[in-house]
Order: sequence, then structure tokens, then C-alpha cells
Amino acid sequence: MATLTIDGQLITVPDGTRLFDACREARGEDLPHFCYHPDLSVAGVCRLCQVEIEGLPKLTIACNTTVRDGMVVQTRSKRVQQAVQQILEMHLINHPVDCPICDQAGECGLQDQYMAYGLYESEVAKADKVRKAKVQVIGPQVILDQERCVLCTRCVRFCDEVTGTRELGIFNRGDRAEIGVAPGRRLDNNYSLNTVDICPVGALTSRDFRFQKRVWLLRATPTICPGCATGCNLRADHEGGRIYRLVPRRNDEVNGPWACDLGRLSYKDIHAESRLAVALARGEGGLESRGWQEARAELFGLLKPGGVAFALADPRQSLEELVLFKRLGLRLAGEAQLAGGIAGEGMAESDGILLAADRRPNRQALRWLELPEIAPARLAETLRGARGTLLVFGGDPFAHAEIAAAAGRLRVVYLGTHLNATARAAQLVVPLAAWAEKDALWVNGRGRIQRGQRAVAAPGAAREDWRVLADLLDHLGDSLDLPGLAAVRRLVAQELGLADLDVLNRLPVGGLQPELPAKAPTQGE
Amino acid sequence: MSYKGLPEVVTRRRRSFWESAYFVEICKGLFVTGRHLVRNLLHTGEMPTVQYPEKRREYGPRFRGRHRLMKRADGSPRCVACMMCSTVCPADCITIVAGEHPDPAIEKFPKTFTIDLLRCVYCGLCEEACPCDAIRMDTGIYEIAADNRESFVVDKEFLLDNDKDGTL
Amino acid sequence: MVPVVFEALAKIVFMFLVIMSFVPLLIWAERKGSAFIQDRTGPNRAAILGLRLAGLVHPIADVLKLVFKEDVVPAQRHRVLYAFAPWLVMTVAMSTYAVIPFGDHLRLGGREYQLVVADLEVGLLYVLAVSSLATYGVALGGWASNSKYTFLGALRSAASMISYEITMGLALMGLFLVFGTFRLTELVHQQGDLIWGWLPRWGIVVQPVGFLLFIAAVYAETNRTPFDMTERDSEIVAGYHTEYSSLKFALFFMAEYAHMVIGAALIAALYFGGYQIPWLRRELIEDQAGLLLTGLLAAGALLHGWLASLYFRRARREKGWYRDAREREPGVLGAVALVIGLALLGSLLLRPWSLGAAGASVLATLLQTGFFIAKIACFAWLFIWVRWTVPSFRYDQVMRLGWQILLPVGLVNLVVTALWLAAAHRP
Repeated sequence: MATLTIDGQLITVPDGTRLFDACREARGEDLPHFCYHPDLSVAGVCRLCQVEIEGLPKLTIACNTTVRDGMVVQTRSKRVQQAVQQILEMHLINHPVDCPICDQAGECGLQDQYMAYGLYESEVAKADKVRKAKVQVIGPQVILDQERCVLCTRCVRFCDEVTGTRELGIFNRGDRAEIGVAPGRRLDNNYSLNTVDICPVGALTSRDFRFQKRVWLLRATPTICPGCATGCNLRADHEGGRIYRLVPRRNDEVNGPWACDLGRLSYKDIHAESRLAVALARGEGGLESRGWQEARAELFGLLKPGGVAFALADPRQSLEELVLFKRLGLRLAGEAQLAGGIAGEGMAESDGILLAADRRPNRQALRWLELPEIAPARLAETLRGARGTLLVFGGDPFAHAEIAAAAGRLRVVYLGTHLNATARAAQLVVPLAAWAEKDALWVNGRGRIQRGQRAVAAPGAAREDWRVLADLLDHLGDSLDLPGLAAVRRLVAQELGLADLDVLNRLPVGGLQPELPAKAPTQGE
Repeated sequence: MSYKGLPEVVTRRRRSFWESAYFVEICKGLFVTGRHLVRNLLHTGEMPTVQYPEKRREYGPRFRGRHRLMKRADGSPRCVACMMCSTVCPADCITIVAGEHPDPAIEKFPKTFTIDLLRCVYCGLCEEACPCDAIRMDTGIYEIAADNRESFVVDKEFLLDNDKDGTL
Repeated sequence: MVPVVFEALAKIVFMFLVIMSFVPLLIWAERKGSAFIQDRTGPNRAAILGLRLAGLVHPIADVLKLVFKEDVVPAQRHRVLYAFAPWLVMTVAMSTYAVIPFGDHLRLGGREYQLVVADLEVGLLYVLAVSSLATYGVALGGWASNSKYTFLGALRSAASMISYEITMGLALMGLFLVFGTFRLTELVHQQGDLIWGWLPRWGIVVQPVGFLLFIAAVYAETNRTPFDMTERDSEIVAGYHTEYSSLKFALFFMAEYAHMVIGAALIAALYFGGYQIPWLRRELIEDQAGLLLTGLLAAGALLHGWLASLYFRRARREKGWYRDAREREPGVLGAVALVIGLALLGSLLLRPWSLGAAGASVLATLLQTGFFIAKIACFAWLFIWVRWTVPSFRYDQVMRLGWQILLPVGLVNLVVTALWLAAAHRP
């Protein structure tokens, strides 16, 4: 342990701590910086985190200094302030100050630090600034503006150290130095949008988010990525009922500060044209829209105990929904005619960084709840001779031609979010809320329960899944009393055999890895 | 504010007999209103009413009238769709959809720029917020009329060429 | 028989026309007068071919608007009473005029015509009875609309009727004691006398306190400010007629002004000598008819000449103000005034000073009726003037004034009058 004095305040930190982190702890806020990033190597190129250390004649950068016992550090002295201001002025010599058209404005390091440490009058006329290339498309997701760049090299280090793809580098020297893509290459990896996040200025911007919304208008809601079994923590930035972007939320147990591009673009499905916003029922001319009450009556008519041939869920449904669905399926169809999903669906290669081989966010919950998955061929066989109703909860089993062909004589009830093959073949379609439109729990491949909150409202008449299922259960005479989500989560805890029934109602921000009783062993990814 | 020195209890002034008899007071009141009536009858021309469509009040040069969008030398809008005005607008009446401009020196431009004149409160904050002097409220137009609500939502083309009279 | 019917019909039509032409004029006076009292210009925009007549065209526009407006009715109303109430109010307003004499007897072609529709023995009682019937219309309308505001308005109307009817009755009792008759023609006739040879024996002279009581009661009965609690906008929206629109509202609205005219006519007839012209008895007019007519014609010609000069000056001044048909208005009005003035001047050539006996009788009647109408106009204007001067009473103040002040004062007035009469006529 090392004890040092920072701004007159005694602080004890473990040996080997960076002085930068010790200063953050002592000051309660970061030192000014561009290039330092806790998950990347130290570059020490921006020179902004200058501190004054007693005994050293010159100012030193804190990010590249390790703490020593007995160090006396000044971070707010006149000398430091002057140095920071001058370095900031250097950074801004060639900056185009095009904040009005820059997507970074509002969350920009330059803006924040100019307001905190700069506030000088610029001595460089706009005409004298070095002009560089603007609007350079350097990859499928990223646009580069070399004028705005402060050469902090965070993006270069990211591509070197995290993805190992090494597309980016610094070219030329002096005030002609610029970030660029290696000759003949593009910034085309599945993590390229992370460079946009870590860029402290507006040099790298997202093509998807470009000019869509000013960031200060967005409101943030914590969610969980539905893209794969990793369950990266995301922040949904939304405004007016529409999600504009997803950015990673730091969770060192799951995804660190990163997230893959695939997951970050998964919000597009929510606002797809094919979203179901109204209940549909088969009439004379195909599917016709129905009011909620009519659809509800029709739903109750179609789902009668004994009249249901098979009940099929999907591993993209949340933990609470699967618990309720299992209860419903047992009541309607029986254990033999109940499955949690189609076996083998959504399996691909893992990329070794974040993207898991299992591209379903909640398959682990199926294992916990002992809801078996069924192979398409077996399901087709089961359905071929059956009569009655086929209840499909989420997913799109009819994308498999054999299942669609085998279910020809069944009346299909589809509870789901999109107008897909299953919905088109259904007798009754009930619109549900998509993943970011409901408060829900997800179990990732490692058995961590994480909570995604409701960012936007579901379109039209679409309802939260658990309400529909609870309504059905209530109609079928289930004695459960489920006035709200908290009660559902108590039921889930009971179903999982957790000792504390309320544990799921006060889940920590980073999620929870529960100790489950032996009957439901946690399996590998 | 201090109430020191003021009496703590305010006593109601007692009305005299003639005041509470009301009749005399009514006559006094009638005299006052009658005086106004007669004066106005004899000097109709001196009434403060402005006979509006024929005569108009003079407004100062800082009067905030209907908005207009300024143009660049080539006639395209100066606006770069930075959304400062729509952000600062207390009535939330400005809607801008930004687009990618083919010229990388301009980069961002408003694909649409609509102002809902029915919601606008003419506070002038959009003018103040604009970093490019692209929006101004100096047209001096204050008679804004139409026979349907849709007409009050004016678009970019209208605002760029905004020297017509009030009829939308 | 037939001539009698014709005579009655002619008198009814005449009264009806007078009242119905008073109503729009009063509405105009109300709007324009209130505007001038409040330093505004008031209505001056509606025009027919550029003629605005200082806003007199507005009542026409108002009526047209109200007639063609959609009749919005509450769904839960009492259908029959809801439709019946405005007609009841209007009919009652019209009926009261039946007993008010608008002139002395007219002698024409050897016959004498009584210038009153119905010369009832119990004229004053008739007035009291019929005028309080109007409250039924208001109460029924307010109740049948099935709305809390109209209902409150109706309740207040009933309350103020009960409270002030008594005061009105007491005031009229005093008058009855003095003149000894309920017959209105007789009452007005007696007011033509002079006391001590110079003071007209008007009701206000013999019953000054009674006059104050009566005028307060009339204001309360007509629901005009300061007793407008049945339609107090700040408390109960528009009171009893909140739920009425279109023509039914127009009826209520016109009835209010018709009631004002009754009120003014009653005040004029009972306390200000009715059609009597002070110091100018009918016999005197008939004697000096030729001279009077000559003077009137000359005065009329002078007046119109002066008006014409005023209008022509205004036409010069307003040149180029409007640049439309309105600019012609002063010129046209000036020309009309000039033509009338010249016609009056020209009629002097008909040698009006040699008027026949029938002509003299007609002239006397015209003068007296004109004088009566002028008195009505004065008191109707007083209604308007008071409304735009004094603030309203609160409901409890209205009740206190009625029961605790006016009623005892009325009783005392009656007793004092009786004692005074007893002392004066002691054998």
C-alpha cells in the first residue's frame, strides 16, 4: 500500500496504482485527459493530465506515473492550470470548431474541457488553420473527420489491443499528422463502433446515428443486448418513443466497456415495418385487425385445456415470461406437448471476444426451467397428426418449411412482435412488446440474471407479454395473484428455488449470478 | 420586505350615512360615466382606439414578427441543422430533419425545417441561439391568418422566401 | 263590432311595433353606450352598401346570426318546457303593455278613441300579476335545461321575484292611496294636474320614496345590474339561459330588453306623468295646434340643416380614410338630412297654421305619444347607464336589501302616506 498526498489530502492506494486513478479517487473527478482509457494501454500523448509532484522540477503526466509512498501531488495549482490551458489551446489550434454540425457536440471532451479548463480567447484565425479531409467513410459503420481529431490514438490502440485487427494508424508528422486506415483496408470489424464511443472528440462518428438526433435530447435507459448469450449491458438512447442508438454500459463481469456492432444495431428490429401494433384474426379476407377485447375473447376461445395440440416458446423471451409460459403450457397442453424452443436455432461461431456462439439471449433460462427444446423434424412429426390449436409464443418456427407444412391443419395462435411466417399462417395474432419495450430479466450463458428496463412504449395495442400470459392464466382458473411485475418475479424466484423470493426485485445494477439448487445445474455456454 | 411601522390591524373605514344609502353614490358614479360618455360623443376623433385595418400602430425595429430563414450567396439555406433553435424553443414548435449535404465543406443541412406558427410564442430565443444567424424574426409580419391549422405549419421553402403578407 | 276589433288590433299592432323597434335600438344603445362610457368606439364595422349608421346595422347582423345559428340543446332537457320557456317569457313581456296608455283620447270623425289596448279597472294589479309571470319562464327554462348553472339562475330569479314583488306592491299601494284608482288611464290623466298651479302632480312628486322603491324593484324584476344575479357570468356562466342557443336564446335576449321597455314605460306612466306634457294640457295643444306645428316644422328644418352641414363636414374630413363604400356614408346621410330639412321647410307652404279640428287632435296625440316614447327612451337609457356604472350586488346583499331595507321602508312609506292623506282629508 502506498500513502500519498494529493491536493493536501492523504490517500492510501495499492502499490502499482496509476497516479491518474489515485487522483480521480482523491479529487472525486477525472483529471483532464483525452488519451487515457482504463481498458487500453497508456500512450501519454495528449499531455493533459499534468500534475505537479514535489521534488520533480517539471510537471508530469499522471496517467504514465505509478504511485510511490510519500508522494506529494498538486493537481490544481496555478502552474498545472496554466499548463493544462496551454496544452488545450495547442490541441485546438487546428480544430475547425464546427460544433453545430458535429454529432459529438454535447458529449465532447473538447467542449467539456474547454469549459472546465480553457475559456481563453483563441489567437488562431479560422483561415490560418490547417485543413484536412472531412467526411471520410472508413468503414461500414464509421465516418472519419480528420480536422476534428486530437490524435489521442485511443482508436488505434483499440484496434491493436482489443480486436487485434490493426486497421488504424497515425500517418505523417507535426501538424500534418492524421489518423488513417492502413492502405487497402477498411475499418471493418464487428467492434468498430467502439472507436466512436472512445473517440473523445467528433473525429470518428457513427454512420448509423449520423445526424439522427442531437445527443442532449436523448434519454438513457439501461437495457440488456438481445443479440447473443453474452448479454452485454447496453444503454438505450431514445427520444419520443424511438430508440436512436445503443451504447455499451460498463459491466466488468460481462462485457467490460465494449459491445459488438451486431448487438448495437439490434434496435432496428424494434422499429421495423413488420412490427405488430394491432391484434389480427383470420377472417374471410385473410388477417383482419381486431380490437383488444375481441381478440381477447377469441384467444380465450382458442386456448382451452385439452384443445391445445402443442405449446412452443422461444429463447428470446424473458425469464418471467418463460416461467409463466411453462405454467400455461402445462395447463393447456401437458408436459409432453410443451417445448421452450427449436433445437439448434440461432447457433453460430463465437468470435472469441464478446459475441457468443449461442445467438439467443435466454437459452440458459430454458435449461433452468427444464423447458426442453425440440428438433424441427420431431416437432413436424408431432404436429402432423395433431388436431386443435398450436400456441406459439415468440420466435418464428414456421420459418422451417417442414414445421409450416406439418401444422397445416392446426389453428395457430401466435403471440409475438413481428409479422413473420408464423404470424401470417396464424388464426389469431396477439401483438406483444419487444425486448426494449418491457422491463424483463435475462439469463446469460454464464447464468447471470440481468435486468433490462423499458426504454420506449410498445407500438399501438401491443402489450407486455407477462400481462397477456397472466390474463390467460387468470382466465384458466389459475389461482395466482399477479398484480404486478414484482409478484411475477417472486414467482420466478420460487420456480428457480431461490431462498430469498424478493431477490429478483432488487437486482444489483450489474446483475446477479445466483446459487441454484442442484436440480437445475448451470451448463456451459 | 419589512412591515415594521405599519399598523398590525387595518380597520375598515366606516361609511357615512349617505355612502351607505347608496343612492347618492350611484348618482356620483352616473356622473362620472356620463362625463366619459359626453366627452367621447363630442370628441369621437380623440378616442385611443386604433381603427386597425385602415390604420396601424408603428412597431419598433426590434419587433419580433414571423420568422425567416437566411440564405447563403447561392440561395441555399444558411442553416446547418444544429438543432439549437429547436432545443431552446420553449414552445417546441421547430422541427428540423437533418440531412447529409453533398459538399463536405457544408456537410449537414436541413432536409426539412418546419415551424408551427400556432405553437410559436414569438420569444425570439431561436434567433439568440442560432450560431449561424440563419433564423431571424425581423420580417415585421404579425398578421398571420389561415382558415385551417395545417397552413400554420410552414416549411423551409416558405421560410426562405418569407416576405409575403400574413395570409398563409 | 267589426270597427271595435279593428281598433283593438290597430292599437295592439302599434304597441307591438313600438316595443319591437325599441329592442334592437336598446341593444345598440347598450353596446355603443357602454363603449363610449369605457372610452371605446363600440360596434362600427357592419355595413350595408357602406352605410354603418354608427353601428345600427349590427343588431340586424346579430339577429341574422342568431336565426341561422345551430340550435344546440342539452340531451337531458325536459323537451316541452325547454322549448316553451322562451316563448312564455316573450309573451309575458308583450302582454304587460296592454294596460299602459300611450296617449290621451283621440277625437276623429266624431268618434273618441281611447289610446290604450285594454283599459282595465284593475290595471295596476294586472301589471303586478303579469310581470311576475315572467319569472315562470325563467324558472322553467333554467329547470328544463337540466344544468346546474341554469338551475341556480332559475332559483335566484325566483328568489328575487318573491323578494322584490312585495316592495313593488307596497310602492304601488302608496300610489293607489294618493290617486285612488287602479285604472292606469285614470292614473295618468290625474298626473296632468298641477299642484299650486305650477308643480305637475306627477307620481314622483307625491310619492318620492315610493319612486325609489319602485325603481329598485323594477331593476330587480328585470334582472338588470346591480341585480343581475340570475345571469352573473363570473359565478354561474350565463345563468338561466346558459343552455339556450340560436333563436331560443334570441327570444330570451330580446325579452330582457322588452322587459326593460316595460320597466321604463311603467316608471314613465306611474311616476313621470305618462304621455302628459307638463304645463301643456291637451286642450291647450289643440287650441294652439297651428302655431305649434309651424314652430315644430321650422325647428325640424333647422335641425336637419344643421345635421346636414355636420355630415358634409365629416365627409370632407374622412376623405381617403377607407377607400371603399364606407367613405360615401357621411355624404349620403348629409344628403338625406338635407332633403328632409328641405321637405320640412317646404311643408310650411301648406300653411300649417290653419289646421282643422281633427288635425289638431291628431297633432296633440302625436305630440303626447311622442313625449311618452321619449320618456320611455330616457328611462331605458337609465337602465343601460346604471348597468355600466355600478357593480353588481352579491346574492346575499340582494336579499338583505330587499327584505331588511326596502320592505320596511315601503311599509313606513305606506303608513306615512295613509296618515298624511287622513290628516289632509279630515272632515
